[in-house]
Amino acid sequence: MVEISQIQAEARKIFDTYDVQYILGYSNESFGIQPVPFFAKKKPDVNHLIFSPFCVNNLTMYLKNYEGNEKIGIVVKGCDSRSLIQLIIEKRIPRENLVIIGISCGGVIDQKKFQTKFPDVIGSVDVVEKDDLFIFTIAGKKHQVSKKEVLLEKCIHCEYPTPLLYDVLLGEKKQPFKSESYSDVKQIEAKSLQEKWNFWEKQFSRCIRCYACRNICPVCFCKECSAEQLNPQWLRRSVTISENTVWHLTRALHVAGRCTGCGECERVCPMSIPLMLLNKKMLKEVKDLFEYTPGISVDAKPLLAAYKPDDPEDCII
Amino acid sequence: MTERFEPSILAFLCNWCSYAGADLAGTSRMQYPTNVKIIRVMCSGRVNPSFVLNAMQSGIDGVIIGGCHPGECHYNQGNYLTRRRITLLKLLLEYVGIDPRRVQMTWVSASEGGKFAEVMKKVTEEIRKLGPIQQIKRSNEW
Repeated sequence: MVEISQIQAEARKIFDTYDVQYILGYSNESFGIQPVPFFAKKKPDVNHLIFSPFCVNNLTMYLKNYEGNEKIGIVVKGCDSRSLIQLIIEKRIPRENLVIIGISCGGVIDQKKFQTKFPDVIGSVDVVEKDDLFIFTIAGKKHQVSKKEVLLEKCIHCEYPTPLLYDVLLGEKKQPFKSESYSDVKQIEAKSLQEKWNFWEKQFSRCIRCYACRNICPVCFCKECSAEQLNPQWLRRSVTISENTVWHLTRALHVAGRCTGCGECERVCPMSIPLMLLNKKMLKEVKDLFEYTPGISVDAKPLLAAYKPDDPEDCII
Repeated sequence: MTERFEPSILAFLCNWCSYAGADLAGTSRMQYPTNVKIIRVMCSGRVNPSFVLNAMQSGIDGVIIGGCHPGECHYNQGNYLTRRRITLLKLLLEYVGIDPRRVQMTWVSASEGGKFAEVMKKVTEEIRKLGPIQQIKRSNEW
């Protein structure tokens, strides 16, 4: 577990050594359980920086529209570091303009799961990590909860708890929890075509097309999105099953080979559409067919801008 | 008497190979189904999956993408790139419950007029059996 004082000390060091515009981190200064993203612009701001297993947000999202030539400091967990690598691969931000504080993460807490367990909590909660347990201090009382019960789904299958790219690493290097088995994807794959459509029709018809999934996604950074383009208009505004399905297919294909599975889209979806099922399917196929995992190495080429002459050709007649 | 279902099929053909192959099929007086409507693109790599999805929304029952044989692309790599893309598109369509046979890809060179006619016949028959597209066809005007 990472101490808050460690983060603050590192952030101060960064302000001393580099000319950074700001350091992106988390702070607890809001109402509610969840810490909020925080931009430390001056050295005294550093006192607000924290890290706890409640820090869910993927902060690399704020770098996707990066312009200019300023240095930026950022706090990343293992999963966020993969998004960051993907942004570097796609030349959104040069590596030399980043100062990265990596945090060896033991999993973050799903707010929905936490609130079903402790419905009365409204303020911020003290939490200590101990092996496979979280110890919450709520109103002076200690509660021991097994990690599995409150962790986000992605953390239970996390393969990279230690950041893959960092300048300073806080905490000890961790072993992955459990490797990804894609059991939920396989469950859907086993269904018949009609059953699959029945399932997805139910999901997609709930979509209100708020585009929160797109706005939060670190790799969705097109200046003009095809969803809003008017000439040609690929996608009409009406919220019908046809347009909704095509929106979700377009999104899934657009991030195929770029999505690192950080799960932010599903977390922010107001209608709780299981978007990660689509993303994970793409991750799985990309791994099986092209032996490619997005966001692992800064030297990799983007999947769909590269090819191998002996790529699988089963779909060709 | 039941009327036979006539599918509408859209073919994106690359200018340098498949379109010339279609031309050869025509000039050699080879017969192929009239269900197939052709859009010429400069390279099969031009075909964005959005084109395919948009066609299906507009009521196209099947889409064929024709490119040069691997290694013969006029632009060196266009057909390799589209191969990856369409592979993923087909897998995704199958995953959400739309028959992946509605999207087909084929390599036809400029000298293969016969192959072009054969492929068009085969695909038309296959789509005819699948019936009209229902899942993502637009039902309203706006």
